[in-house]
Amino acid sequence: MNKTETGARKGASPRPKTKLARANDRVLILMTLPAVLIYALFYLYPTINNLRYSLTNWDGFQEAKFVGVDNFNRMTEDGVFTKVLGNNIEFTFLVLIFQTALSLLFAIFLLQNSRISTFLRTLYFFPTIISSVSVAMVWQFLYEPNLGPLNVFLNSIGLDFLALNWLGSETVTLRAIAFTQVWFHTGQMMVVYIAGLQQIPAELYEAAEVDGASRWQQFKSVTWPMALPTTAVVMAYTTIQSFRAFDLVFAMTGGGPNNSSSIIVTMIYLTAFNEFRFGYAAAQSIFLIIFILALTALQRRILRTKY
Amino acid sequence: MKVSMSAKAFRLLLAGAFAASVTVLPISGGFAAGETLGAKCTNEGESTGTFSTSLVCAKNSAGRLVWTKVKLSASNLKPASALRAPRGSIEFWHWRAEDKAWFDKIIADFEAANPGVKISQVISNSVDYQATGIQKARTNKKAALFTTFRGAQFNTAATTDFYTDLTNEQFTKRNVIKSMMGAGQYQGKQLGIPYQSLFNNPIYNIEIFKKEGWKLPKKFSEWISYCKTAKAAGYTPMAWMGGFRAQAGQIINSALMNTASTDALLASRVAAIDTGKEAITTAWFKEMAEKYAELRDAGCFPANPTGVTEAAGNALFATGKAPILPTGSFSMGGIVTLEPKMSGNMGITGMNWTEDVNARYTGITNNTFILGINKNAGTTEQRIARAFMSYLLTGPVATYYANNSKQHVTVLDVSYTDVNLRNTSSIMSERLVLAPRFLFLNIGVRDALEDALIAIVGGTSVDKALSDGAAVIKTKV
Repeated sequence: MNKTETGARKGASPRPKTKLARANDRVLILMTLPAVLIYALFYLYPTINNLRYSLTNWDGFQEAKFVGVDNFNRMTEDGVFTKVLGNNIEFTFLVLIFQTALSLLFAIFLLQNSRISTFLRTLYFFPTIISSVSVAMVWQFLYEPNLGPLNVFLNSIGLDFLALNWLGSETVTLRAIAFTQVWFHTGQMMVVYIAGLQQIPAELYEAAEVDGASRWQQFKSVTWPMALPTTAVVMAYTTIQSFRAFDLVFAMTGGGPNNSSSIIVTMIYLTAFNEFRFGYAAAQSIFLIIFILALTALQRRILRTKY
Repeated sequence: MKVSMSAKAFRLLLAGAFAASVTVLPISGGFAAGETLGAKCTNEGESTGTFSTSLVCAKNSAGRLVWTKVKLSASNLKPASALRAPRGSIEFWHWRAEDKAWFDKIIADFEAANPGVKISQVISNSVDYQATGIQKARTNKKAALFTTFRGAQFNTAATTDFYTDLTNEQFTKRNVIKSMMGAGQYQGKQLGIPYQSLFNNPIYNIEIFKKEGWKLPKKFSEWISYCKTAKAAGYTPMAWMGGFRAQAGQIINSALMNTASTDALLASRVAAIDTGKEAITTAWFKEMAEKYAELRDAGCFPANPTGVTEAAGNALFATGKAPILPTGSFSMGGIVTLEPKMSGNMGITGMNWTEDVNARYTGITNNTFILGINKNAGTTEQRIARAFMSYLLTGPVATYYANNSKQHVTVLDVSYTDVNLRNTSSIMSERLVLAPRFLFLNIGVRDALEDALIAIVGGTSVDKALSDGAAVIKTKV
């Protein structure tokens, strides 16, 4: 169909559909049905049900009692929830900054399709294919304060002051897990960046070189602006990933010590399945959905406005 | 029962296996008091084991120690035989993946003896089972036999009418050690049968204690002295694993056991904290927490204690760097896996946090799981489950399970052949209390107060740790 045809139909009453077109419509609807059903069953229904439970005091066993917005009010007064939200923001911020910066840096250095680059890309991507619980176990071992290789090494070279209680200190643990998360996913984001950077026309760099631009100026004026759409994807994905880092946190510390490494998803799990406060956990998960949506929208807005 | 063993083994058996020293009732009349069973009765509470013919060393009316025949079960009768099961199939829900092989064999034997019966094990990991296992089992008519954790999970299942009452079953009256049934009781009814029995008391390295010429501490000041001595000798006195709350929290059992003059008082104090009526800054709790600080200051714990993982703690003990592992008898299997030479080299001792060597309790006992029959299962399924439970509660089957799983059981007429089970059976002659940690039914509260105690070991002041913990607890009640 072309524009002229479309314009000619404006204002005219729609032509009645032929039998064949109606049959086609039915087939098309039927083809979408499995996907719609799966979505409705596994996403829509649980989400609506979750909303319903968030307004109750359900403990997972007994009849749920309607409590209105009490669970949401409780969240505002819950010091642990506030602390955990703060943890999550700090965790996300650290991961976002370092993971984005490092993945971009690695992508720039490994952009060429040389043998070494290909080998290093594979090497950096490797952690991504390991299961998160395995990663957690490996790093738990590395971080062990007395027998762990990291502290043993630091002590052996005289850097005792750097040999910290990595997973047992309320001030250090969250950052140690954030480091592991960065190690775990930088390779994955690097691949996304490489795909994005390979789309930048070589002529732009050639023109910049002719104009005498330094490497830094080329990065600032060509690479960074052209990589912004990729950066938006990387940042949105990293943000969501950081909010969903349940397995890593849970397997490494269970949120301890003293909730200092707990993030919202671990708190939701513990509230529901450890403390059996399913209604409150449902309210927390609704907060999480809204928070991530708002944060992602904000990121997109900032990136779009600025460039 | 025919018993054939060396003199040493016999002495070991004599020294061990008396679970009911606190509540056991000597049977008057009909039995000849003063039997010696080939050995002199010298230690009060010592028993000949968990057999239905057991003797206990007790004072008679003249104040002399004599062997007295006791009843360990709720009946004078001999243990009952297993029931016959009708044809059909059921599911057995539990989280004990490590027991699968033993249960497979037991089930195969049971199925062979009961043609037309099929029992399938449905095993989740413990975290999933704790989280959703019970909810799934309760709506499954085939899930006729299931297990629960002691404490909150058992309590929830009991309050939601999930259990079939087993109070009047013959196996409840005749096959199990009566004093070990507390964890399965609710409002005067026996709703579940605690099967595996464990002892949440410190495990010690026999060889190191012998080599260094140390005596086992019997009161709190001796524990402090032990820590200082062991540390000075280059050891980590206790392989406490503060990075893993579940194990770090084991010593709270010993810490709590003598904090009140009666069980009822302790229960009411715990309930007050559990429901938010009282804060953990209260005097009795603070007094207990201060002892954590004393242990910390005496160097009892490893360096960076709050970051020590379970694997690292076990490694410290298994490699002989720490003479004591403050967890419980359930850790022994893992230690032997790590270091086979540790087999036969582990003893168990109670941890008395008072200065009174005659304190009410000197040790802890607990149950890993409680067997129950699902009230919502079909009638035939319930009958099969009941028959299988009665089979599990017979001496030979329980003996097979105990020696293979390397755990003690609550069943009568069990003969322990495993050296580590024998060595640690001695704890049964202590004055044991059911692990008071599980009196806290609100797990959010329990986690928070244990976090506070862990923080104290990590160096936080008692006042700050308790006030921080109290603030967290407020959000959990």
